[in-house]
Amino acid sequence: MKFVLIDRIVELDSGRRIVAQKAVSLAEEYLADHFPKFPVLPGVLMVEALVQASAWLVRERLDFAPTLVLLKEARNVTYKSFVAPGQVLTITSNCQALDASQSVFAAHGDLDGREIVKGRLTLRHMDLVTLDTGYAELDTRLRAQQRAQLKLLWKGCPASQPAETTSAG
Amino acid sequence: MPTIPREEIFDKVRQALVDALSVEEDEVTEQATLTGDLQAESIDILDIVFRLEKAFNIKISQEELTPRDVLSNPEYVNNRKLNAAGLAALKQRVQHADWSKFEQDPDIDKILDVFTVGTIVNFVEAKLAATP
Amino acid sequence: MRWIWLDRFEEFVPGVRAVGLKNVTLAEDHLHDHFPGFPVMPASLMIEGMAQTAGILVGHARNFEEKVILAKVKRAVFYQLVRPGDQIRFVAHIEQVHDAAAMTGGEIRCGDELVGEVELVFSHIDQNISGLEFPEENFVFTEDFMALLKTYTPRGAERIRL
Repeated sequence: MKFVLIDRIVELDSGRRIVAQKAVSLAEEYLADHFPKFPVLPGVLMVEALVQASAWLVRERLDFAPTLVLLKEARNVTYKSFVAPGQVLTITSNCQALDASQSVFAAHGDLDGREIVKGRLTLRHMDLVTLDTGYAELDTRLRAQQRAQLKLLWKGCPASQPAETTSAG
Repeated sequence: MPTIPREEIFDKVRQALVDALSVEEDEVTEQATLTGDLQAESIDILDIVFRLEKAFNIKISQEELTPRDVLSNPEYVNNRKLNAAGLAALKQRVQHADWSKFEQDPDIDKILDVFTVGTIVNFVEAKLAATP
Repeated sequence: MRWIWLDRFEEFVPGVRAVGLKNVTLAEDHLHDHFPGFPVMPASLMIEGMAQTAGILVGHARNFEEKVILAKVKRAVFYQLVRPGDQIRFVAHIEQVHDAAAMTGGEIRCGDELVGEVELVFSHIDQNISGLEFPEENFVFTEDFMALLKTYTPRGAERIRL
């Protein structure tokens, strides 16, 4: 499975709020086990989607400095209903605090306007070179990959907008 | 059991709510409703009950807050709403809540909306008073 | 990707405690995305490992009569990274079991190191939630999970001779 739990970023208010989507498809193999005859997005993958949406906000705000953005703590993540294949979970994550190494989010996932999941997340961020100077090159590669991935996910990404025309009308 | 002052009960109830719901302390007022103002889900109620049991060394059954024998009783419930007999039975069983608003629309699916922080504090206070 | 996040039970004390073991291996596809060149077991999947270990413990305590599903993650906190080649243990214990729900606590350990702590609430769903209907049979406790319990022996894994 590709461990990408965000399919699209709809809105990104730098450092403040991100709105993203995860579409669920029967093509996702783990659904055969979760559950047989009742395929639904696993709760922890909802958490992962909330984490990944929040991580994109962190990366954009910090200009892709941290190459590792990880879940440090999840609190009071409550599940209210299910998301089935064919449905799209809309994730909203509001940033409550953010510095170079840590961030805090209040996030929720909705389906057609109904809340499905909500919770509080604390993320930790770092680059690999802090762990070992041998990782400098990997950091550079990861940064480039992550910048490219953001452009792919977020059509509104500033660098990817076409140059404005000056013609009237 | 020596009497615990109401403020102390309130403080512990507030802590349980802050921990279970990720709300701020100042959101936890006497009048705040659990499911409305504090956005508690039904699964959070169970979490809260458990924390209260631990904090006060008491046993609370969900039945004391939402008695199934009233809420699932066909004699008391029509179309998911309580009739007069059902309302009377409910008020008799759960004495610490303010049922006046609920009476206007006694929808059994909305019963949790009645409970305020104050209701919970009253409930714990009565429980502690009743414990030898 | 199969949705099974523990490999074996190391301990199973009915109604009390269970210890599930999971090997973390580069053969797992998702590690290559998380992250390319620096694989780390995602915290969310460690939460699932604990949920499966604790969920089977709870299900067993109720004779697998109800469908036990994760309703709330009260708290999941992580202290260390888990890397390929690591062997982690989900040490789960029951805090409370009611008719409608159960609460579990637990630690995630790698050797002697404390990797994380996870507190969960499970719901026993057998009535409609949000207007959904569920298939009759207990789809939560799949053959794979039941096999984990079957192969567990209190004396530890027996080696089967060829």
